Amino acid sequence: MVYPGALKKLVDMFCRFPGVGPKTAQRLAFFLLGCPREEVVAIARAMVEAKDRLSFCPVCGSLAEDECPYCSDAGRDHHLLCIVQEPRDVLILERSGQYKGLYHVLHGALSPLDGIGPEELKLEQLVNRIRDTGIEEVIIATNPNVEGDATAGYLAGLLKPLAVMVSRIAFGLPVGGDIEYADDLTLSRALEGRREM
Amino acid sequence: MKEKLFKAEGLVLRTRVLGEADRLITLLTREEGKFEAVARGARRVKSKLAAGVDLFTHGRYTFHRGKTWPIITGQDTIERFNWFRENPDLYAYGLYFSELTDRLISGEEPCPEIFDHLLEAWSLFGEDVDRFLLSRSFELKLAHAAGYSPHLVSCINCGEHHVTAFSPRQGGMLCSRCRTADAINIDRGTLALIRRLVEAPLSQVGLLRPLSNQKKELATVSAGFLTYYLDLGEIKSRLFLKDS
Ligand SMILES: [Zn+2]
Ligand SMILES: [Zn+2]
Repeated sequence: MVYPGALKKLVDMFCRFPGVGPKTAQRLAFFLLGCPREEVVAIARAMVEAKDRLSFCPVCGSLAEDECPYCSDAGRDHHLLCIVQEPRDVLILERSGQYKGLYHVLHGALSPLDGIGPEELKLEQLVNRIRDTGIEEVIIATNPNVEGDATAGYLAGLLKPLAVMVSRIAFGLPVGGDIEYADDLTLSRALEGRREM
Repeated sequence: MKEKLFKAEGLVLRTRVLGEADRLITLLTREEGKFEAVARGARRVKSKLAAGVDLFTHGRYTFHRGKTWPIITGQDTIERFNWFRENPDLYAYGLYFSELTDRLISGEEPCPEIFDHLLEAWSLFGEDVDRFLLSRSFELKLAHAAGYSPHLVSCINCGEHHVTAFSPRQGGMLCSRCRTADAINIDRGTLALIRRLVEAPLSQVGLLRPLSNQKKELATVSAGFLTYYLDLGEIKSRLFLKDS
C-alpha cells in the first residue's frame, strides 16, 4: 500500500497506542483528517499539556497537577490509607465514590522475574510515611492475582511492627456474572468477604 | 502441517501483560514442551480464563494455532498451588524455579521429566520441605535433563576415579594431578550428596541430612555449575531468595 508520507507517519504513531492495530490506526488518522484544523490543534495541545502538567505526587505517587488532589484535600480521612499498584487504580476507586481516605501508589507489584523487589517499589518510603504520619488503617488493594496477592502478603508482614490495622480489599463475584461460571478461588473469596443482609 | 486445534497439560511459568486486556502466558506442557500462548481478555475482572492462566496453575488447556502465538481457547484447572500466593518467600522460590526452567529448557521438544519434577516441586513447597536442598536438587536435575550433566564420577580431564576438587570453569570434578586454580575442594560426602540430589526423587530430598560444610560445598558446586552454562546474574529471581 502506498501512503503519502505524512499519513504513514500518523498511522505509525497511532500504532504505538495500546490495543491499536494498523486498521484502527488508519481509521483514527482519517478521522483527524476529516476534522477542522482547530479541533486537531486542540487535540494535539491536550496531549502535550497533559504530558507537561501532570506528574506523580512525591508523597503518594498519584497523578497530580501542581497540587495532589488527594494529599492536599483536608476533607479526606487522613488516618486511612489505600495501597494500589497503578495510578489508574486510584481513578477507578475514586469513580466508585465510596473511598474517602488517602492513597499510596506502588507503581508495580513484587515481580522477581522482572527484577522488581521491595527496593524497586520503594517500600521503605511507604513504611516511613505510615510511621511518621497519623495513619491508623491500611487497605491493601493490589490485584487479585498471584503477583498482587504475594505483594499484599509481603506488605502485611512489613507493616506488622507499625501496629496499624491492615486489611485486604475483598474480591468477590463480578457483577453481572453467573455463579455457575465462577472459579473456585473467586467463590471462596466471595464467601470470605460476604456481608450481613 | 500441524493441526489447528490442540490440547496440552500445562504449568504456568510466567505471565505478561499483552496489549489492553490480554496476557501472554509461558507454559511448560507435558506434550508440546515449552511455549507462549495468548489468553485473550485475561486481565478483565469478568474473564473466565484469568484464574486458570495465573502463575503456579496446573491445568488442561486447549489452543488454536494463531499467527504469532497459539490462542488459549479453553482451560480446566487441575490444581492451583495457593501457597505461592500466600507466602512471599515461597513466591520468590516458586518464581526462581520457573525462571530456571524457562531459561534451561529450550522448548522445542517435550521434556516430561522436567514437567514432572516441577509439578512435584510445586506440591512439595506446600509441605515443610528443606528449601535449600529442594532448590539444589531441582537445579541439578534441570541441568541434567537439559543435557548439562555435571561430570562427577571421574576426573573430567584424565578419567582418574579418585577426584578431589570441582572446577566451575570446566563444569566437573578433577583429580589432584589435574587440579586447576579455580577448583574448590569437595569432600567425599558432598559428592555422594550431589549424586543423590541428581538421582533421587525430589520427595526424598528432605530425608537427607547434610553437614553444614557439605551444604556450603554443595552451594558452591551448584552455583558454579549453573554459572558454567548460563549467566546466573541474569536469573533475576535468584536475588530474592532467602536462606539459599
Ligand atoms: Zn499525593
Ligand atoms: Zn585428572
